[in-house]
Amino acid sequence: MRNEAQAIPIRTDINSAAYLDLSHEKVALQVEQLKLFYGDKEALHGINMTIPKHRVTAFIGPSGCGKSTLLRCFNRMNDLVEGCRIEGRILLDEANIYERGVEVAELRRRVGMVFQKPNPFPKTIYENVAYGLRIQGINKKRLIDDTVEWALRSAALWDEVHDRLHESALGLSGGQQQRLVIARTIAVRPEVLLLDEPASALDPISTLKIEELIHELKDRFTIVIVTHNMQQAARVSDYTAFLYMGDLVEYDTTDTLFTNPRQKKTEDYITGRYG
Amino acid sequence: MQLQDMHSDHISQQFNADLEAIRGRLLAMGGLIEKQIQDALTALVEGDTELARVVRQNEKQVNTMDVEIDQECTRIIARRQPTASDLRMVVTAYKFSSDLERMGDEAKRIAKLTLKLAEDGQSPRGYVEVRMIGNHVLDMVRKILTAFARYDLATAYDVAKEDRLVDQEYKSATRALVTYMMEDPRSISSVLHMLWVLRSLERIGDHAHNIAQYLVFLVKGKDVRHAGLESFKNAVEGNR
Repeated sequence: MRNEAQAIPIRTDINSAAYLDLSHEKVALQVEQLKLFYGDKEALHGINMTIPKHRVTAFIGPSGCGKSTLLRCFNRMNDLVEGCRIEGRILLDEANIYERGVEVAELRRRVGMVFQKPNPFPKTIYENVAYGLRIQGINKKRLIDDTVEWALRSAALWDEVHDRLHESALGLSGGQQQRLVIARTIAVRPEVLLLDEPASALDPISTLKIEELIHELKDRFTIVIVTHNMQQAARVSDYTAFLYMGDLVEYDTTDTLFTNPRQKKTEDYITGRYG
Repeated sequence: MQLQDMHSDHISQQFNADLEAIRGRLLAMGGLIEKQIQDALTALVEGDTELARVVRQNEKQVNTMDVEIDQECTRIIARRQPTASDLRMVVTAYKFSSDLERMGDEAKRIAKLTLKLAEDGQSPRGYVEVRMIGNHVLDMVRKILTAFARYDLATAYDVAKEDRLVDQEYKSATRALVTYMMEDPRSISSVLHMLWVLRSLERIGDHAHNIAQYLVFLVKGKDVRHAGLESFKNAVEGNR
């Protein structure tokens, strides 16, 4: 992977995020002129946006619009993709995460990710949550015990599993597995939580539990969620970004975007019209 | 957005049909209301008690239409979870139909007063004022329905401006009627009836003004209620 990141002046004129005033929010992530190429194909065309701290930001858009690609840029998951190249910068705490010498493992601790399909390790519930701590070299049993309990409580799973912590995680239901994965992610105390379609493989009740969890976690974490379900984006997020064919078409408060969007493309998409 | 596209082009044809149906029902209800007001005025001015009774009868139909539109809106919210302009259409329809229904109530009130005046067998003063304000208000109602049919905000703004004029006309007509009462105390009871008629007409103008404001919300997403004519104008002319 080649990294052409360098100081580029921020342009706000080319995307509609310029409408959105986030000056009253703290900044978690700052995306500047972000372009992403898969081989010769440009998949993201110069995205500028600010992800506010301790808020839920949703990315919506049709399949292939670049929303998951953009999400994966935030913890450099795209590094793993053959032929993937990035221009521009993403600042986390004012430091470019694509700078040479950035420790990617540490970045991924600070910016955790949860995927569509629950992917617990074939270990016990306890060991799943303790895993991140152990690879950080933490061995104190008391500290790990406390953290496992804290993470499982935070993920609203403790009451359901506290009496079977040492049973296999694979015995949990899909919704429980997804909350376990969230617990595993937050156990290492990340700053940002990236959720890529976290509820799309779950039944409606498990989905509501995940949504409720998102609401509770946002006091402590910055959350960025990609979802195909527009009602879900409307329910859980404070801000919503609409992406279309690699462009950030519109970025606004969720209330405004779903009641009175500025762009026709956004309107067409959220109201279910031909784009 | 092209306004004529506003409720079409959904991937779901059924959703298109649902929203078009609401629009059609509102226009049909509006047409009936326009006729009710027209008939109520004709009945009053010409002393046609038969026509006044028809107006009272038709009020039931107005109420039924109002209830049906509300039910349809609730059904769409439950089944479609409308957003953006679709959501604004549904929210507007709720309010729109309720203002139309109240216009219908006022028309019925005028019809009732007509019957009372006929019972009393008097031919009071005040017809000139009623005819003038009545025509003005009827014109506003026609205009606002046309504006809704075409999503024409310039016409909606005209209606909002005209409501001011009607308010002024109502004030001076009230003064004139008070003078009649002072001149001839025997006419007080019948002139009071005419005052109530004027009051109803003035209220109909207010409802037309309300609908004009809903129309701005529907088309532009801006709420111009309680904000004065100036912000109405800005919303109509401006692009966010």
